[in-house]
Amino acid sequence: MSEIEERDLKHLDEMTLLLYLERQLDRGRGQEVSAHTEECEACRTLLRALERESRLLTRAMLEDSEPLPSRLAQFQEAARRSMQWIWGLAFGLAATGVYALYTGYIQPWQTQLEQAGFSGTNLLGLLIFQSPFWKGWQPVITLLEILALATLGGLAAMFVRRRIRRGSALALLFASLCAAMMLPGQASATEMRKGDRVSVAKDEVIHSDMYVAGGQIRIAGTIEGDLVVAGGDVEVSGHVLGDLLSASGQVRMTGQVDGSIRGYAGNITVKGKVGRNVMTFGGDVNIDRDSTIGGSITSFSGRLSMDGHVQRDVLAMGGQTNISGIIAGSAKIRCDELNIDSSAQIGGPVEFSGHKPPSVAEGAKLASPVHFEQLKHGPDYSSPHYYIWQLIWASAYILFGLVLFALMPAFSLQAVHSLEEQVGASFGLAVLVGFGLPIAAFITCVTVVGLFVGLSTLALWYGALHFGLVVVGALIGQWLMGRTNELWPLVGRMCVGVVIVRLFTIIPYLWFLKYIAAFWGLGAISLVIFRRFQPAVAAGSSSTPTAQPLPPNTTVGGPLPA
Amino acid sequence: MSAPGITEPTEAIARARAGDADAWGELYREYAPAIFRFCRRALPTREDAEDATMEIFMKLKGKLTQYDTTRSFSAWLYKVAANHCWDILRRRKIRQDKETEDVESVPLEHPEPSQLEKLIEQRSSEEVRKALEKMGARARMALVMRYYSDMSYDEIADALGVRRAFVGVVLLRARHELRQALEGNAALAAGGAL
Repeated sequence: MSEIEERDLKHLDEMTLLLYLERQLDRGRGQEVSAHTEECEACRTLLRALERESRLLTRAMLEDSEPLPSRLAQFQEAARRSMQWIWGLAFGLAATGVYALYTGYIQPWQTQLEQAGFSGTNLLGLLIFQSPFWKGWQPVITLLEILALATLGGLAAMFVRRRIRRGSALALLFASLCAAMMLPGQASATEMRKGDRVSVAKDEVIHSDMYVAGGQIRIAGTIEGDLVVAGGDVEVSGHVLGDLLSASGQVRMTGQVDGSIRGYAGNITVKGKVGRNVMTFGGDVNIDRDSTIGGSITSFSGRLSMDGHVQRDVLAMGGQTNISGIIAGSAKIRCDELNIDSSAQIGGPVEFSGHKPPSVAEGAKLASPVHFEQLKHGPDYSSPHYYIWQLIWASAYILFGLVLFALMPAFSLQAVHSLEEQVGASFGLAVLVGFGLPIAAFITCVTVVGLFVGLSTLALWYGALHFGLVVVGALIGQWLMGRTNELWPLVGRMCVGVVIVRLFTIIPYLWFLKYIAAFWGLGAISLVIFRRFQPAVAAGSSSTPTAQPLPPNTTVGGPLPA
Repeated sequence: MSAPGITEPTEAIARARAGDADAWGELYREYAPAIFRFCRRALPTREDAEDATMEIFMKLKGKLTQYDTTRSFSAWLYKVAANHCWDILRRRKIRQDKETEDVESVPLEHPEPSQLEKLIEQRSSEEVRKALEKMGARARMALVMRYYSDMSYDEIADALGVRRAFVGVVLLRARHELRQALEGNAALAAGGAL
């Protein structure tokens, strides 16, 4: 190119060349610049100088890699130690709170219960150890073995977690657990029968557990194991050496059960001898004059007529309770109406909670007068205990939320966001999980998978319900104090929100709000869990950028002309 | 975009997001040197850079849930770091930008290409680093974002709070300021007509 021609060219400005170098010009303009720099020596030189300047800048900034100052090198460890200290303090405070709760409230209540004559056990103890749920120590040992195995598995997973993915470790653990639970507990045959009419003849002996399903069931023979019946009309006149479990429309037990009776029925009549305890859930429960119960009776029914002989205690809840038989232990009854007949004998104290005083006939032999407590509708706002408990509950929720938010920050944040952004889906899942899961867990309890899985599921559901309320609290806090995506500000908002929810529950007729809040939160939690199980959103599975950016720190322009 | 010499530890990121403290420690050890160097280039003193690095990682711990796993982690990290450093500089009111967003006022003439080439060839990395320290906060910040952490024009505009169209101007002015600091030659920095 001659000097005259070059002088005639209009040079490109530095801004245009820089934008060309950094690939910021559109395609057409870039082609113009490219064509121009091919012909113009001065612009080509400037372009080259700008590119070298870019390289020099990058090199200068990347070089001289100062070592990380010791303060920064130790920062992570120091922060961790500090967090451990805070956790220690938090759990210490929590333990102190639990101790204060126990000594201040639970222990006195337990003492009162013992004084009420529950044989030195509390209500829970009565339900667990004297009810048909209690099957002796052997199942507990098995459960302990499973828990020990699970713990060992967990420790092993922790040990190898650096070598395998966390998800894999959890999968391994749960697979082992499931495998352990599916192993047959004991090698025993099981007799199963079903049909419209099923019967076991008087001289027939079943040398194992027996499962029977049918419209009309008659058991007159001997069952050496447990008897599990599901039918419309059931009569057991034979001898069951194990437990009798029944889910039927009508059950009559006129024979002998050496173990316990666990019955779910519309109408239950016990006329024979029961070696251990009776737990009944039914509309109408009759313990006949000829019956003898070796242990305790626990009844949740519309009407309980107790005319037989009970060698230990009676716990009854329901509509009406009539006692005309003998109770060697104590009686704790909570129902609308209690009638004690003149033929009744009760060896221990009688505690009755109801809406009207009990009717006690003159000839009744009671160890002590009936202790009557009038039931009131709704909370007692005049009692300071009510407000203390409200405070304790609010603190407990905050502590619970604090721990869960700190342990699962991402999950908690997603739950709060789901709550806010997908109200309909949250409520839908709340109905499904809130009501469906307990039913599924209950069914699981009576199937082959077992009580452990069912009860664990129920415990998880219950915990999630409380966590749901905490999540709703965090959302309310966000409405008031503004949205945040950081952990500790979110915890602060959660505290405010939880206090507000608890305050609302104090207001008469608005107590149900906390249940709505808990279920709504449960729905949001379920939604997050559901999403996490979607293969497409496996967190961290890929970090491939959606668009390939410029190569780092090096390339800063279009092709230089030769 | 990724931190120089770092392959992204996706598994550690996923675990850290799930609250695993060990994974968080891994990320810290992996990225703290690069972020410290970023802060060292962007902020006036070494102490500022140390404090800022710690603050950035404390902030990141809370913000990790916002990280979109389909994007580059280091790009996101640098974005957080840039925002934090720029906030520090703004709070201290040491923002000495005399620039306006009036693109018309920007010198659009050629500098002398051969002189510019000579200047670039003669200067060492050490001299460039010293020159960077003399620059105004905004100009230095722009250069660090673009040529150290390879941030896009959109990201730079976002961090500095300017229109995207103005980012090129900011960068060009920053280069002029750098040349001025390198050479002490105002004429070259301002650019002279061919």
